[in-house]
Amino acid sequence: MKARKWLAAIVVATAVTAGLVGCSSNSSGSSGSTTLNFVEDKGWNYDPLSTAAKKSLGVSLKTNTYSNENQFQAFVKQSLRTPKAPDIFTWHTGAQLEQLVSQGLVADTSSIWKKAIAKNWVSPSIEKMFTVDGKQYCVPLEVDYWGMYYNKAIFAKYNLAPPTTWSEMLNDAATLKSHGVVPFYSQDGNPWAFVYYMLTMAGTDLNEYNAINEGKASYTDPQVKKAMDVWLKMLQKGYFSDPGSKTPSQTVFKDGDAAMQPFGTWYPGTLAKVGMKPGSDWGIFPIPAITKQNGKTPVAVETAPVCVTAKGANKAAALKYSQWLMSPSAQSTWSKAQGILPYNPQAKAANSTLQGFGKQVTDAAKYTTYLRYYEAAPAPVLTSALNNFTGFMTAPSDPTKYLKSIQSVSSQYWASKK
Amino acid sequence: MHSKSNGYQRSAWAFMGPGVALVLLAMYIPVVYTMYLSLTDYNGLDTPQFVGLQNYVTMFSDPSFLMSLLNTAIWVVGTLIVPVGVGLLVAYLSFGLKWASLFRIPFLIPYALSGVAIGVVFNFILQNGGALSQAMAFFHLPGADTHWLEVAPLNTIVMILASSWQGIGVNALLFIVGLQSIPKEPLEAARIDGANGLRLFTTMIWPLLRPSTTIVVGLSIVNSLKTFDIVETMTQGGPNRISETLGVTMYSDTFQNSQYGLGAAVAIFLTIVTVAASVLYLRRQLAIGDSSGSGKVAEA
Repeated sequence: MKARKWLAAIVVATAVTAGLVGCSSNSSGSSGSTTLNFVEDKGWNYDPLSTAAKKSLGVSLKTNTYSNENQFQAFVKQSLRTPKAPDIFTWHTGAQLEQLVSQGLVADTSSIWKKAIAKNWVSPSIEKMFTVDGKQYCVPLEVDYWGMYYNKAIFAKYNLAPPTTWSEMLNDAATLKSHGVVPFYSQDGNPWAFVYYMLTMAGTDLNEYNAINEGKASYTDPQVKKAMDVWLKMLQKGYFSDPGSKTPSQTVFKDGDAAMQPFGTWYPGTLAKVGMKPGSDWGIFPIPAITKQNGKTPVAVETAPVCVTAKGANKAAALKYSQWLMSPSAQSTWSKAQGILPYNPQAKAANSTLQGFGKQVTDAAKYTTYLRYYEAAPAPVLTSALNNFTGFMTAPSDPTKYLKSIQSVSSQYWASKK
Repeated sequence: MHSKSNGYQRSAWAFMGPGVALVLLAMYIPVVYTMYLSLTDYNGLDTPQFVGLQNYVTMFSDPSFLMSLLNTAIWVVGTLIVPVGVGLLVAYLSFGLKWASLFRIPFLIPYALSGVAIGVVFNFILQNGGALSQAMAFFHLPGADTHWLEVAPLNTIVMILASSWQGIGVNALLFIVGLQSIPKEPLEAARIDGANGLRLFTTMIWPLLRPSTTIVVGLSIVNSLKTFDIVETMTQGGPNRISETLGVTMYSDTFQNSQYGLGAAVAIFLTIVTVAASVLYLRRQLAIGDSSGSGKVAEA
């Protein structure tokens, strides 16, 4: 009797514990399924891609969006070794990709790239961004170049033309400011606090910009101070919108509260959300160099990589999808859906305003591309830089103390790599 | 007899087992694991390497941690002055009034909101060019272009005021319960002896209110030490980490900077400070105070 009571208690205990454990385990581990669990941080509408992929591959997407970048990164890093790992996810190239690759968490896509390059689907310069130790990882959903978006109505009102040199751009800014219009959009924190550092630094000395990001130069170098002083002068003249404002950039742009906004060629999809149309409402021009590099204007480039989890349940389908994503048909679909520029030269571009801009900045005789700061800086340095640049733009003053603070993190990081 | 008791014990343990296991699993193991992490250089991806007390050394030499420590101290003092002080005032002034409960409702309602909701609402009011600045500009008041959330320690102070808006009501409620439990006779006697107003309050009511004060102040210290939600929603600890509290520093070191070891060290430090503050404070209070409030305090 006692023994039976005892046994009953154990059974109950075991059942409860098993129940609890059961709750936390993954119940949807159906391998061979063609619905890919896709985790992303952009907030875009992927339905057109999912529909098209289902038609041609029998693979569709179940999208989960993380709008907070910090939470997104924490989730991906924490989940990749667990059964909760997404099949595919968006990520960043550069240091952040290297971190995942060094842990063997993303699937090798070298064979996909080989085919894509052979078919002339993508340029080898893009392949370089996805290469770590001679192998390729992830594929680009899109490749974006940074330009300056401008509000056409405002430019027309004050008789301004898109500038072709840095001083022309500052002249435009002065005119706008004199009419009470804020010339440039700016926002603090993660992610956009880096933008004007990047534009002034790469715009004055591209070699120094690259050397810093590779740990071969210092944020305390005089070249950096010089670039930051360009930014400081613009801040002191009141050329920027309130960096602490939480109003979305597209709303600021539409309301005419900032006439120019530097962003990548992914931005039209966001502008479309507030009903702003290319050509009539907005235009885009390449951001002029402050000092040209060997006669060329530097253009920031970024990609939106889509990565496959190394040990994901649907790895085969995810790789098949990755290959398809680079194809002319997928790129045409995506270009149409987002109003952006496809990187695949065989795909159909949806938007003529961007097409002209794309042709312009990919002209290797006049422009030279560099990796956007957000991807180029190592993760801990980026975090410190975003904090310090936020401090700098909130209380514009001598940049030296901020640069020293970033450099201390940078020195520490590069010392740990040796 | 012996075997019966033994069997009873065993089945009792078997029934308690799941509960104990759950507490171990959900509370003790994470604490031990956090202690372990605080001694490693874990970055969320690589295998953690043991680094001894390095994270604690880094932590105390990190200016943003020291700033966060200072801000947390401001939070503790600020929440003692405003929500506790005003809570007491509301309770005392409304006590015994005819429509007191109606008068107290507006103070109590914000307590039903979450900290995040408060953060969102006050962010709307206090952001640059927000509702407050617009209102001040409309009335031509000076300081309409103040950047409330960008300058230290102003940003911490306005966030304390925002959280006070929520905290006053529940403190007042606790004080009212305390006031109601004060026996009438000694107060009557004091009044007959001529004690009135401030004198009556300081010599009679305040000492008799001690059990409630102990609870309110104890809760206030612990809650302010672990302030997180309102700061995270209003400033995210920024700009440039100048409005972080220890809770926010712990979060941003861990999840934003991927320094899990350092974040764990901050967590352990925060835990030690919170436990030490509660123990020291309650010990002192319980040693002086009567027994009527002690049970509740221990639970709190």
